[in-house]
Amino acid sequence: MTASPLPEALPTTWLPRSVWSQALRDGRRTLIGWSVGTALVGAMYSSFYPQIGGSMGDLTRSLPDGLKQAFNMEDLGSAAGYLGSTPFGVVIPLLALFHGAATGARAIAGDEESGRLDLLLAHPVGRVRLVLQRYAALVTGSGTIALAVLLMMLAIREPADLGTVSPAEFTAQCLGLALLSAFFGALAVCIGCFAGRRGLVFGTTAAVGVVSYALNSFGPQIGLGWTRHLSAFHYYLGGEPLKHGFQWADDGTMAAACLVLVGLGAWAFRRRDIGL
Amino acid sequence: MTQAIRLEKLAKTYGRRRGLVDLTLDVGHGEVFGYLGPNGAGKSTTIRLLLDLIRPTGGRATVLGLDPRVDSVELHRRTGYLAGDFTVDGRQTVRECLSFLAALRGGIPERRITALADRLGLELAPRIRSLSKGNRQKLGLVQAFVHQPELLILDEPTSGLDPLVQQVFLELVREARADGRTVFMSSHVMSEVQAVADRVAIIREGRLVTVDTVAALRERAVRTVELHFDGTVPAEEFSRLPGVSDVSVEGTRLRCRIAGSPDALVKAAARHTVTGLLCEEPDLEELFFEYYRNGAGHDRVTAA
Repeated sequence: MTASPLPEALPTTWLPRSVWSQALRDGRRTLIGWSVGTALVGAMYSSFYPQIGGSMGDLTRSLPDGLKQAFNMEDLGSAAGYLGSTPFGVVIPLLALFHGAATGARAIAGDEESGRLDLLLAHPVGRVRLVLQRYAALVTGSGTIALAVLLMMLAIREPADLGTVSPAEFTAQCLGLALLSAFFGALAVCIGCFAGRRGLVFGTTAAVGVVSYALNSFGPQIGLGWTRHLSAFHYYLGGEPLKHGFQWADDGTMAAACLVLVGLGAWAFRRRDIGL
Repeated sequence: MTQAIRLEKLAKTYGRRRGLVDLTLDVGHGEVFGYLGPNGAGKSTTIRLLLDLIRPTGGRATVLGLDPRVDSVELHRRTGYLAGDFTVDGRQTVRECLSFLAALRGGIPERRITALADRLGLELAPRIRSLSKGNRQKLGLVQAFVHQPELLILDEPTSGLDPLVQQVFLELVREARADGRTVFMSSHVMSEVQAVADRVAIIREGRLVTVDTVAALRERAVRTVELHFDGTVPAEEFSRLPGVSDVSVEGTRLRCRIAGSPDALVKAAARHTVTGLLCEEPDLEELFFEYYRNGAGHDRVTAA
């Protein structure tokens, strides 16, 4: 053990001191996995652009407009249009969604089911503080994943011919990505604060996520254009940050939704019994 | 303030299932209080109500003069809790876990943590997932005792501990009492608590069966008496005596069980020539089985 200036002090320089930092420390390996995985998958799909970007544009010209619209394939010829279709339109956001759902389900419900919350809540940690700090750790994780994706995109921007999308536009899209993950995390935390069953929380959140995706992509095709306003994916992608940069109204809506969900969860969590 | 814990008609209902029925109980400051009952009697329910992990459906609890519902953070600061199924994240090391929990309490001198872990024979370096059940329980004891709380709430604290560590645990409890701190500990076995508890409560199916000092319980306990006579004696002469049961006669030897005062038995025996008398130590465990089985043991024993 290293010598400490104060003999009474704990060697806490590297040890977590709050629910937030402990949650991050406990989940560090998982988070590294999510970050590396999401960045790599994103890079893989994005780097196909030079090969298929132009030709796919020709190929999809014959497809019905509705289908192209649903899969964001109206503009595969441009880098921003291509990135907005598969990489940032489907693969990366779905990974972000599942990160939010899985981490959010573990944050309250998972720990409650395993009996671990008893110990924390028998310490001088208020229930609201526990929910907020656990959620803050989740958001930190979402931000880390989005940052990993951003760094990866900036790294492959030139080699993969994606130079027409500016670093600011990539940053805008990745901010949206972080908020998307944080939103589904907030939803999972909120449900967990009511229900305390990890499987139920993850399943419900994932289902809402998939339905949200469908509302945004296919709603307009069946004359339900308004439904996309209910979908988190609309606020993530609708403003096309890769083309138009930061969409503060959309980002603000997402952030507000996160606060409402977590606030509602904390309110419910304060009122109910822990465990069974 | 004289009561560390005051329960008034405390009740908890889970849906249609009754967890706890009108429990009224006081635990004094500086007292070591044993809380006994079979599995599923409501011990953990009571404890989790005290700590505001669950909320009562009726009545009220006052712990250290506080309403757990309103002042839970303040209450938790002044209590140490060991859960019946103590679980922590297996990914942490013992040291990490203890220092994290200490940080939640605003920091505890590390030498106090190491000293207590040493005393219980708990290593700080291993990951929690690699610990045996007994070592996890030691970790639970360390985190409950290390900040020297005013009130210790321990749910089956000795489960999984080997006899040597159990002795250390009993020392810790005695030290806590010597410091004037209060200990509320549950168990499903009397032998675990009779060594340290000042008073004992027994609950069964969510209801309080009895509360008394260990000494008084011992007096009320059923003991086996064996009498040897110089000739045969009629069993029925003894079986009708108050407090006497299970009379059996084999030749010149009479065996019976007696609850409460042995006066009547001794006087009945004195009508014959007694050549030998053997009286076993009261078996408290048996008393508890009696309570567990039918609750009627209470009436029978106190009537004696």
